[in-house]
Amino acid sequence: MKLVMDSLPAILEAGLRYTIPLSVISFIIGIIIAVITALVRISNVKKGSTFTRLLKIIGKAFFSFYVWLFRGTPLIVQMFILFYGLPRLPAPYTVEFGAFSAAVIVFSLNVGAYASETIRAAILSISKGQWEAGYAIGMTHTTVLFRVILPQAARVSLPPLSNSFIGLIKDTSLAFSITIVEMFSVGQQIAARTYEPMVLYCEVAVVYLVFCSILNVGQYYLEKRTSRYIKNT
Amino acid sequence: MIKFENVNKYFDQHKALKSLSFELPEHETTVIVGPSGSGKSTLLRSFNLLEQPEEGLYSLDDKVIDFAQPISEKTILEVRRQTGMVFQDYNLFPHLTVLKNVMEGPLHVLKEQKLIAAQRAEELLELVGLSDRANYYPNQLSGGQQQRVAIARAMAMNPKYLLFDEPTSALDPELEAEVLKVLLKLDVEKNSMVIVTHNMAFAKAVASNIIFLEEGNILFNGSPDEFFNHPTERIQKFLSAMTFEDILPK
Repeated sequence: MKLVMDSLPAILEAGLRYTIPLSVISFIIGIIIAVITALVRISNVKKGSTFTRLLKIIGKAFFSFYVWLFRGTPLIVQMFILFYGLPRLPAPYTVEFGAFSAAVIVFSLNVGAYASETIRAAILSISKGQWEAGYAIGMTHTTVLFRVILPQAARVSLPPLSNSFIGLIKDTSLAFSITIVEMFSVGQQIAARTYEPMVLYCEVAVVYLVFCSILNVGQYYLEKRTSRYIKNT
Repeated sequence: MIKFENVNKYFDQHKALKSLSFELPEHETTVIVGPSGSGKSTLLRSFNLLEQPEEGLYSLDDKVIDFAQPISEKTILEVRRQTGMVFQDYNLFPHLTVLKNVMEGPLHVLKEQKLIAAQRAEELLELVGLSDRANYYPNQLSGGQQQRVAIARAMAMNPKYLLFDEPTSALDPELEAEVLKVLLKLDVEKNSMVIVTHNMAFAKAVASNIIFLEEGNILFNGSPDEFFNHPTERIQKFLSAMTFEDILPK
């Protein structure tokens, strides 16, 4: 018990310094990437001038490639390529990131790829009648999207996006592999010093559980708020 | 005035509107009738360009659109500003209250001030008899009430033409009566109306002009008196099917 109390401040500090900021920043950037990706991928290539249509086709190909790439490769491999691989490229192409930036970039892109599919599906789940009702009162495509479709899609995508967020919090433990001293690696260090791996790793697990539980509560209230207009919820 | 000249609309191989030409004068109520799949809705939805036919000319007052050419976004928005539409399945915005549904267009399309938009919305809700439901969400209303909100929403944009796409066919007779009562209150001097309906009694009561459509062709375009009292053989058959005259025991 004493060990738990002694190690808790260090573990919590690592959580507040790395795990939470990494998760929150990456999630926010990831959602922005996801919305843009989803919008480009559902855009209608049959509409617009020749130039905009060409732009849409290129955009679609680019974002489809991005989603394919980031969903199809392991997170830890992406992290290693960015952090260890890019700095070793031949001279003019060398790119170097700090560990924290590298982690944010990889986590954001990773969440963005998965969440874009969630958001795409949520947008497509809103009935065609909603688009037409917006058009019929004279709205432009963009106005319908922001005033009518996205508010409803946000409600639909809330549970799966919470999934992604929870997944991300846990995935940040992988950042230890690119030298970031987040919660898990602090636990590991103390375990190595005290020869109490069982206690320390369980402690780390409990702290992760607490973080995710707070998120669950947040999800519950957000869902309640965004579902006010639905019967029987 | 709504005017079509030789308008053709295709869905892949299927020809939905076959070289239609007609003119609907202002300040009148035109009722479009015909069997299912005859192109009634497609025709109505062409008036506000939710459907875009491939060929022919469309005149909306002094604006002329050639369907064979790409239609600019500006033109589409102008046409939709002139035409309000009420859908068969209401299509209210479920995430907004009744009042906000009605205010949405004036606020975010016409950029009206909030107070003015709210006042006008309240007047319209009064007209459709739903003042006491202003802060409800659409899901808390009956179908008839939702459709009356949809009528208020369409009218809030002050369109010159009001288009109704089978506004009561998703409703049971009592709720249908609620909606028809509201429609009878509307003033054709302010809004010319085009109504697609299966309700012949209603058509007879409100129409100043009737169009009968079958398989994308106009088989009749004339007065209700002629349509109901001197029908052709085909129309007679359609009318008696509507009242189940042929199949019910005498």
